[in-house]
Amino acid sequence: MDLQFLYSLIVSVFIGGVAGYLGSLMITKRMALVGDALGHVALPGVALALIYGFNVSLGALIFLALGILLIWFFEVRTKLPMEALTGIVFTASVAIAFLFLPETEVSTALIGDISQIGSWDTLSSVILSVIIFLVLRKIFSKMILANLSENLARVEGVKVGTYNFIYLLCIAIIVALGIKVTGSLLMGALVITPAAAARNLSRNLFQYSYGALIIGIISCVSGVLIFKIFGFSAGPFVILTATLIFLISLIFKKR
Amino acid sequence: MSEFILEVKNLNVELAGEQVLEDLSFDLREKEILVILGPNGAGKSVLLRTLLGLHLFKGEVSWEENTHIGYVPEEFTVSKNLPLSVKEFFNFKEAESSEISQSLKWVGMKISPRFLEKRLGTLSSGQLRRTLIAWALVDEPDVILLDEPMVGIDIHGRKTIYDSLVEFWQKKNQTIILVSHEIGEVCKKADKILALNKRKLFYGKPEEVITPQNLAKIYGSSISL
Repeated sequence: MDLQFLYSLIVSVFIGGVAGYLGSLMITKRMALVGDALGHVALPGVALALIYGFNVSLGALIFLALGILLIWFFEVRTKLPMEALTGIVFTASVAIAFLFLPETEVSTALIGDISQIGSWDTLSSVILSVIIFLVLRKIFSKMILANLSENLARVEGVKVGTYNFIYLLCIAIIVALGIKVTGSLLMGALVITPAAAARNLSRNLFQYSYGALIIGIISCVSGVLIFKIFGFSAGPFVILTATLIFLISLIFKKR
Repeated sequence: MSEFILEVKNLNVELAGEQVLEDLSFDLREKEILVILGPNGAGKSVLLRTLLGLHLFKGEVSWEENTHIGYVPEEFTVSKNLPLSVKEFFNFKEAESSEISQSLKWVGMKISPRFLEKRLGTLSSGQLRRTLIAWALVDEPDVILLDEPMVGIDIHGRKTIYDSLVEFWQKKNQTIILVSHEIGEVCKKADKILALNKRKLFYGKPEEVITPQNLAKIYGSSISL
């Protein structure tokens, strides 16, 4: 087994798993499309990284931070709905990215390219994924409680504002990491689809969150395998596997 | 006499530019049951939330140090689709199975292992109310604040639940603040009644303050218990 393949497999397993787990929380909080929008916001960073040959996730993270700050600033200034402002920022980001994104890199930026993952990349992705998973696991039940009743959560001593901030930070980092696997166009699906499938199949929170994690891993592994065997880009097949699992989950949907 | 567990002095609350509570003062000792009465929109729920530190206020609200407070909010709905089991809901408070069944029993629920595996969102409104009260009881707080706890529970159920709750509260030395828009069973068990409509209407022991004249202040016409 060649090293490059092993790296892509490890990276996608860790990122896919945590993205699925995070997605179960995002669907509950009705924030499923946030991952999608942020994937687009990161595009100029991805483009710069591809041109100057630095880490794609790092480029993505810088522009995600800028994008989120901008959305926040617009919200303070205009009081327009957050989703409208997000729409403005993410489409503008895509437009800016296409000003300088070289034609040869378009497909890498949009649907990812795991064949370029190195050892340092792998190590940093694994460490960050594990940290994010542990943080999310710590705040998970409190976020669900705050979602049921914010007042009840506050009375139980949950610092809702702080937790929301940590949660948003986790989303930004996972989106930045996931872009390596699925590209900015498809990143949203990596958080939504596994969690939606798991929701159909689960009776309780444990099955739901860990089901999403497992479906995320399965999707990523099969995408990477298809890349290895047939040479197709992994990104689209990661998402298509997740979608297939979602379709199958409809048959077994728990009422 | 035991110390005050809660002292409220000259409490004023303004929400969105409107004065909701005006110059309220009252106090509470350990093990006392305070029932807060008043018509709809009188500011009862706001008062509870202010006591819980959820609203800004002017005046003084002082709890005895390290008081552990439980809360039963008036509004609590769970989406049918949310895969959250009753047991997992209690696990948010790290409750043991034995504690869960015990507190569910106090609110008159016959529980089976199957009930604990049910989705919270599929419970009937009465079951959900009882479960929510049991949730507030499960870690045995020193004080419990209940906002219209019996909404959705039929009149026969209420008396049984109140009887067993009062017994539970006395056994655990708990202090209770209970909001109700109607005068009912629980007023008989109260140590103090506070009636308000933005400001204090009357305040005192039930046998002293529950008079037809006073009740007319709340409801506009005379009623007796």
